[in-house]
Order: sequence, then structure tokens, then C-alpha cells
Amino acid sequence: MRHYEAVVIGGGPAGMMGSITLGGKDVKTLLLDENDVLGGQLVKQTHKFFGDHAHYASVRGFEIAQKLQEEMAKDPNIKVETSATVIGVYPNNLIVYAKDGKEFKVTYKKLLIATGAMEKQLPFINSDLPGVYGAGAVQTLMNEYGVMPGKRFLIVGSGNIGLILAYQLIQAGAEVRGIVEALGKIGGYEVHAKKIKRLGVPILLNHTIVKAIGDESVSGAVIAKIDEHFKPIPGTEEEKVVDTICVSVGLTPLSELAEQAGCKIEYIPQLGGYVPIRNERMQTSNPDVFIAGDLSSIEEATTAMIEGKIAALEMAHNLKSTDVENEINDEIQTLSLFRSGPKSEKIRIGLEKFGINVKPVPEIERHGVQIGPQGKLRAIIDCTEEIPCNSCEAVCPFGAIHIGENLNSTPVVDYDKCNGCATCVIACPGLAIHMLKEDVENSTALVGIPYELLPLPEKGQKMWALDEDGNYICDAIVKKIAKYPNKTNIIYVEVPLEFSQKVLSVEFPKRESPFVCRCEEVTLDEIERVIDSGITDFEEIKRLTRVTMGPCGGKNCKLVVLGILSRKTGVPISKLSHGTSRPPVKPVEFSLFTKRDDSK
Amino acid sequence: MIPEASVVIIGGGIVGTSVAFNLAKLGVNNISVFEKSYISSGSTGRCGGGIRQQWTSRMNVRLAMRSVKLFRQFKRDVGMDIEYHQGGYLLLAYSDKEMEEFRNNVRMQREEGLDVELLTKEQILKKFPFMNLEEVKGGTWCPTDAHANPQIANIAYAMAIKRMGVDLNTHTSVVGIDIQNGEIVGVQTDKGYVKTNVVVNAAGGFSHEVGLMANVNIPTHSERHQILVTESVNHVLDPMVISFQNNYYVRQTKHGSFIMGQSDKNPAQGNDLGHTVEFLEEMAPKMIHDFPFMKHLHIVRQWSGAYNVSPDAQPIIDEAQNVSRYIFAVGFSGHGFMLAPAVGEAVAEMIVYGHSKTTDISNLGMSRFANKIEKEHNVV
Ligand SMILES: Cc1cc2nc3c(=O)[nH]c(=O)nc-3n(C[C@H](O)[C@H](O)[C@H](O)COP(=O)(O)OP(=O)(O)OC[C@H]3O[C@@H](n4cnc5c(N)ncnc54)[C@H](O)[C@@H]3O)c2cc1C
Ligand SMILES: Cc1cc2nc3c(=O)[nH]c(=O)nc-3n(C[C@H](O)[C@H](O)[C@H](O)COP(=O)(O)OP(=O)(O)OC[C@H]3O[C@@H](n4cnc5c(N)ncnc54)[C@H](O)[C@@H]3O)c2cc1C
Repeated sequence: MRHYEAVVIGGGPAGMMGSITLGGKDVKTLLLDENDVLGGQLVKQTHKFFGDHAHYASVRGFEIAQKLQEEMAKDPNIKVETSATVIGVYPNNLIVYAKDGKEFKVTYKKLLIATGAMEKQLPFINSDLPGVYGAGAVQTLMNEYGVMPGKRFLIVGSGNIGLILAYQLIQAGAEVRGIVEALGKIGGYEVHAKKIKRLGVPILLNHTIVKAIGDESVSGAVIAKIDEHFKPIPGTEEEKVVDTICVSVGLTPLSELAEQAGCKIEYIPQLGGYVPIRNERMQTSNPDVFIAGDLSSIEEATTAMIEGKIAALEMAHNLKSTDVENEINDEIQTLSLFRSGPKSEKIRIGLEKFGINVKPVPEIERHGVQIGPQGKLRAIIDCTEEIPCNSCEAVCPFGAIHIGENLNSTPVVDYDKCNGCATCVIACPGLAIHMLKEDVENSTALVGIPYELLPLPEKGQKMWALDEDGNYICDAIVKKIAKYPNKTNIIYVEVPLEFSQKVLSVEFPKRESPFVCRCEEVTLDEIERVIDSGITDFEEIKRLTRVTMGPCGGKNCKLVVLGILSRKTGVPISKLSHGTSRPPVKPVEFSLFTKRDDSK
Repeated sequence: MIPEASVVIIGGGIVGTSVAFNLAKLGVNNISVFEKSYISSGSTGRCGGGIRQQWTSRMNVRLAMRSVKLFRQFKRDVGMDIEYHQGGYLLLAYSDKEMEEFRNNVRMQREEGLDVELLTKEQILKKFPFMNLEEVKGGTWCPTDAHANPQIANIAYAMAIKRMGVDLNTHTSVVGIDIQNGEIVGVQTDKGYVKTNVVVNAAGGFSHEVGLMANVNIPTHSERHQILVTESVNHVLDPMVISFQNNYYVRQTKHGSFIMGQSDKNPAQGNDLGHTVEFLEEMAPKMIHDFPFMKHLHIVRQWSGAYNVSPDAQPIIDEAQNVSRYIFAVGFSGHGFMLAPAVGEAVAEMIVYGHSKTTDISNLGMSRFANKIEKEHNVV
């Protein structure tokens, strides 16, 4: 039987960073992971990660895993066993694991458990039908094995995982028919949500899945609106034609091994469920056992790595009396910074139950979206939610973007310094930055859109320009494609000047015509046909097609129709008559006018 | 714009385009139509779309009956589906006196060959169980009355006449009529001059002003009428329903929205196209009362248009006494959409043959105002 000073269970970011830190402090370490490659959740993640630039922000998940692995391979203190499933932690610091169908035993002085988390289940009728998957399973099939489990997807849950999965599915060529979310607001980051909304994926709040439909496998899903008690409201059921349902309603820590190792467990919903009690230095109620990562609280790769490092430093100190005080305090301070934003409120509440208080940090600064000086090629940053990320600030070669000490602050641009290099556009993990340059003389605008789909369009090609909800707004001509090694490319398109601030996405023109007016379901084709028949008056087009005549009163589509008319007739939009606005601006019930306030 | 026209029509509303359509059908070439704005910008694009034959004056009944025939084959003749729906008209009566009037109207209308009947309150309730008929005594019912989309009808005529070679000029205002020795020689527009000897005044709300251009004093004036549209819901209401007592008309369009209006107590005069909140406040309680399901229905938009009113609320279709070949088809008093197909036909015949052939409209001339006039009563 072998013996190690330290054993680490779980080779995700927490376990890997823990191993690297232990090895660095000369501790003989064994890392065990059940998969054949290291990386844990990272392996499935093809998107760029958020976070502190010093902690791999804007690097894609699977690439972070590769980088960590390269570092580990250099260190002779670290021994790695993959395809090694720990089946139990026994008294006297004994670990038993299975590998190649054989039983292996190993003992430790100090143990770091970083087993991560598993997906929560959601019960609904027919949830056992083939075609219902956990989000993680779909990611594994798609991103690790290159197998697509379906063509048309419904996603349940709008946390970051659900949102990112939707994005990855679209990248893989699938169609996402919608995301249902039981709560009244989107769970994940706004930038992730916007990324898929502008690709046309609807996010239905206050909705749930009622049942899966199908005989042998999923052929549809019934969704419904829910009331404040999360009960489906009769009459609101709606069927979505999908062949795959992905459930992504959160993760819960895998705490069994910690429990077996004698760590006290407590149920703290804010941290994800049953979690081991531990102190600020990641030590559990069993002084030989430390934890890190999603097992301690469902969070992020960044925090998992920092926790792995803190745990490892403290373990090294216990084992060898190495002086790690300053290093640990630095890491704790960084963690506090990460957790100071509004999105970490749950974590802060959960940690307080252990008596762990987040350290005071510099205040978060908040800024709205800046438009910048018209006519200059510049970056437009739509990132107004306080999330821990500073990659734009870190990569800008001209120091034009400021976030400051607290990385939850939102960015502010100094447009005197911005020179339009677009480095921030390709670094931003939220794809929340695009380029803009207006040409007032020619009534056009150049919009540079970050693009991570394949194939790429060609220069000169006509694309559809879409707004924030993925609605068609005008045609766009590709002027330039800037390719980058990190695979976030920028497509520069020319659009009419009027749309310069609306265009946020592009897509290849589709065979079926896009809806221009969603209220009345009028397509681009119908409008072009009317114009081609010689009707070039906006008012006449409106009356023939009903475009802009719906409940929204044309708020969403009037400019789009004028844009089409302008393109076809060559008359600038500013010269076209745009009709009259009539009350009510928003539809109101008749009953409103029977309950009048007549007070003087 | 052509330099010389056989006929110039002033106004591209439903009447002007219908006249042009019928002239072209009779083989007239070089017709010019001038519309100062876009097609359907006038009353036509703002109207309720009702097509009713139940009138108190025989002339209105006749013209409307002829129009219904033409509306039925509109799609074939003019080439576009105008959402024509023959769902009938229900007129409500609230007193014995009103019932008595209705009885007399029905007698006259049946003499004209109209398929119309008196209904008891119970019969109405059976047909339309969702209505609240509390104060209603009874009503009249004509199943061949109808409604259609006036805007599309106007544009349909416009597209048809363009195909037929008519010189249609939108966004072109007629600013003067050139008359020498009592004869028309041309028309001045803001975009140029056209030579012509024949002019049709189909200027809708501006009929009086366009009359003055030829020194003809047409006894018409315009007043504002307001109207609203609701959100779309499932189809429940087939007919147009009118209540003179409660002062409203209402119908449901093909798209499911309800269109409705009333006569304001003191309507704004002229071509004021504003809107008031009083209109909504007056409409809401009576609609909720008579159609309880509308309580939670959403109002989507309100607007207004002009009724071009004549002294007896019947159209004035005539040729001027003092200016030869100056013809006018005006003063429709809130029912010009429904009469337009028949009026267009009659006016075209007047121009080509010197008098109307299909429908006798001789008593719609100006001379009738010299005598005591008989006013049309069935107006909202
Ligand atoms: C879709 C998605 C998107 C994400 N995006 C981001 C992001 O943008 N930025 C960010 O910072 N974070 C992101 N995260 C979160 C991040 O991936 C996790 O927080 C992080 O991976 C947690 O690390 P961990 O090491 O604690 O656990 P894991 O990565 O889950 O690793 C745990 C490892 O332990 C192994 N293991 C478990 N039990 C045993 C056993 N009995 N024997 C042997 N091995 C065992 C598991 O197989 C696994 O390999 C995302 C997660 C998902 C799912
Ligand atoms: C609220 C409302 C509801 C109605 N409901 C109904 C109904 O249910 N059924 C029904 O049959 N009728 C209804 N009407 C009446 C109907 O709309 C009119 O009688 C009919 O549209 C008249 O048509 P027109 O062509 O004479 O007038 P318009 O449609 O007004 O056309 C006249 C045109 O002449 C143009 N013009 C005027 N002066 C000049 C100039 N100098 N040079 C060039 N162009 C000029 C104007 O721009 C206008 O477009 C309603 C009217 C209103 C306002």
C-alpha cells in the first residue's frame, strides 16, 4: 500500500490548482480523478471564462484545463492517476479506489476533497423518456465526444449553465426553441442571456415544463406559465416541438466522500445543498481533511482554483510548517473581491452561517452603456451588470478601459484613448463588446460584431442584421472579417445609419422570410412584395399588410419597415413619411374608462 | 403626370378611384387622378367599413343595394380580397316609437326589394346571446348587409386603375381650376398644369373648398368623427350592430379586432383630425353595458376622420350649373364607402353618356335643396 503526504480527490480546477500548489511547496501529492482526462467541468466548456485576468479570464474552459495540466506535468512531486474512481474513504486515512477493474489502496496525511457537484433533477411527467438529459450530459456528448443528441432543444433553467448550453448548442448547429425559467428573472449573467437572445432564443420567465411528449423518445414538450406558488396556470399550456429536453436547474455538491471522511455536513441551500462545514482556510471538522471548489459551494472555476490554492497552502503549512501566511491572506482577499458583487449574495449569506465573513473590499463602481463620439471607430461595451470580470481592462493596450480594484465594477471607456483596435472585443467572455463607426455623410454605419459561429460569411455577402432579441431589422453587407486565434472573430458589416445602435448580431439570410412585425406576423417577403407591386408609401404598405398595426403600435417594427422601403426606393429614411402616432400608446382595457379619478 | 387629360379627378379616396375605375372600364383613356397625400389618407382610410342597405331614404337604399352587388364581385372585378364579409346589420330599437319607425322603414325597404325583417328582443337574444339587451325593444335585421376593409378597397382600386393605364398622381394637390367662359380648360397642381375639359370633385372632406376653386358653392361641410380599434380576439360578432339611441356602431374585423365609433355631441368642424379622451370615456361604458365581454378587451388605437355632410345627409352627385363639365360626388355624410362602387359607376356613366344608366340618381342633384328636404335619419 502506497502512502502520500497529500492526496487530492477530484481533478477539476480546484483539485488541479490544489495539486499544483502542494507540489510547489514540495509536498508529495497524489491526484485521483475518475475521468480519463483531467479538468472536471472545464473539459466540457468551450466558452471563454469570466473572471480576473490573472486567473485565466477570457481563456476557454478546456484550454484552462490544458494549461493547468501542463503545469502539473512539470512537477515531479505530483503523481496523477486518471480513470481512478474513489469508492470510499475509510478510517485511518485510507482511500480505496478502482482503476482498470482493480482495487487500489492509498493512505494520506492530509486529504483535499474536490469532487465538485452533480446536476439536480427535476420531476415532470415522462421525464424518464429518452431525449430528456441533464445539461452536463449534453455538454459531454457534444463537446467531448462530438455527438449531437438532437436537433431541436428545449432548455429548462436559465442559470449560467442553461444559457451557456444554449449558446453551445447553436454553435453546434442545433436549434434552441426556448429556455423556460420558473423565476421572474434570468438566473445567469445578463451578458450570457443577451448573447443567446440576439441569436433569437426566447427566454420564457415564470414558465415551467409540464410534461414531455413522445412514445419511444421525446417528440415535444408541454410548457406552461406558473403562478406565484410555482403552480402551472391552466389554459396557458403550450406545446414546443422539440426532440431533446435539457434540464439545467442547478448543481448540488457531491459530499459523500467528505461525509465518509468524518467531515460534519450541513444543509445550506445558498451554497447548493449538503456541504461540509469548514473554516476560511478550507479545513473541515476533521483537521486532516480539506475541501475546495463546487463541493464547498456551487460557484465558479475561478473561485474553485483560489479555494484549491488556499486549502493546499494551509495543508503545506500543517505538514511542513511552511510560512504561507501572506500568500493565504492575499488569496482570501482576492476571494472576497470576487464575492463582493450582487450575484454572490447567496454565497455570502451561506458562508456567514459558517461564521465566514467576506472581507471589506473597494466599492463597486457602476456605469451605464456609453455611446462615445459619433464617427470614430470605437468599442461599445454593453456590460452593466456587476459581475466579477476584468478582462477588457486587462487586455486594452491603450489603457482606455477602466474597471478598477473591485472587478465587479462595470467598465468605463475613455474614448480619447480608444483607438479602435478591437482587442477587448475578442477578449470579452460575455461577447458584450462590439465595434461601431458611423459615416454620416453616406448615411451608413460600420458595425463590428463578435462572431463565434461557423461557417464565416464572405466579404461582400449580404447578411441579416438582428437586434437584441434576434429580430430581423435590416440587411447588412459584410465589409471585413477579422479572424483571431482565440476563435472569436469579428464580422464588420455596413448597415443604414439609422440602425447603427440597434444592430447587435448577424445571421445568414434564411430561406423562409423573417418576421418584420411580430404582432401581426408580417414577413420581410410580404413587405417586399407589396413594395415591388408599386406601393411605396409607408401608410399604404401598413394598410395592406397590417405591419405596425398591432398592439405594439409599431414600436418594434416601424423603423425596420422604413429601412426596407428606403433600401428598395433609394430614398433616405429621414425623407420618408412615417405615419402618425395615436393613443393609447399601450393597449388599455375598456374598464379603465369606467373607473375614473374625478378628484380635482 | 400627363400634360392633357380627358378627365381629371380630384381626390384619390374610394369615390375618386371608383369613378376612375368605372371610367376606364367604359374605355375612357387619359384619365388623371390627383391625390394630395397617399391613397386612403382621407376619410376612406379612417372609416368603419360598414356596408348597409337599411336606410330611411329610398335613394340611399337603392345605391347601397347596387353597391352590395358590386362589392360581392369586387374581388373578381377589381382584383383584390378586401375582407368582404356579409354578416348582416343589426339595428336596435329602444321605444315603441322607434319600433314604429323601424316598421315603416322595413316596409319601404322591402318595397325596394331588400331582404330585411323586424326582430323581437327574444329573436335578437337568440341570435346574439352574448349581448345585454336590457332596454332594447326589438330591432331590424338585414342579412345581406356587410362590412369590408375600406383601406384595402381603396388601394385595390388604385392598383387596378394604374394597371388600366390611369395616370394616378399621389402627393399632388390640385390648387386651382382654370375656367374660361364657363368652360374648364385645365387644372393647376402643385406639381404642374394639366389641360382638361372635364373635372370630377371627389375631394371628400375638402369638397366645399374644391367647389370654390370653380366658383361652385356646394352646400357641404366637414365634421370630425372619432373611431377606435381593439385587440384581436376570437370571432364572435358577425354583423355590424348599430344603436341610434346609445349612439354607436360596432363590428368585428376579419382579424378579430372590434372597430367602433359614435357621433360626438359637438363634433369639431372642418378637417380637424385630432382625438379626445372623452370619446373613449363615452364609448367604454356603453360598450361594456351592451357587450359585457368587452370589459377586459384592450383598446389598441383611436383616431378620427371627417364626415363630409350635406343638408339632408344624402350625397350630392351633380354637374355644376354655371361651369360645364364640372361634376361632383360629395357630401356622403358618413356613408360614402359603402356607396362608392355604385356611385363610381353612376358618375362614369354621367360623364360618358350624359346621364347615369344603371342606377337612377337624378334626385341626388343640387336642385333638391330648393324644395323642402327629406332628411336621412339612420345616421350615427
Ligand atoms: C456550463 C458551465 C459553464 C461554466 N462557466 C464558468 C465560467 O464561465 N467561469 C467560471 O469561473 N466557472 C464556470 N463554470 C463553473 C466551473 O466549471 C465549476 O465551478 C468548476 O469546474 C468547479 O470546479 P471543481 O474542481 O470544484 O469541480 P469539477 O470541475 O466538477 O471537478 C470535480 C472532479 O472530481 C471528479 N470526481 C468526483 N467524484 C469522484 C470520485 N469519487 N472519484 C474520482 N473523481 C471524482 C469529477 O469527475 C470531476 O472531474 C461553469 C460550469 C458549467 C457546468
Ligand atoms: C370615423 C368614420 C367612420 C365611417 N364609417 C363609415 C362606414 O362604416 N361606412 C361607410 O360607408 N362610410 C363610413 N364613413 C364615411 C366614409 O369614410 C366616407 O364617406 C368616404 O370614405 C368618402 O370617400 P371619398 O373618396 O369621398 O373621400 P376621401 O376618402 O376623404 O377622399 C378624398 C381625397 O381627396 C383628397 N383631396 C382633397 N382635396 C384635394 C386637393 N385639392 N387635391 C388633391 N387631393 C385632394 C384627400 O386627400 C382625400 O384623400 C366613415 C367616416 C368616418 C370619418
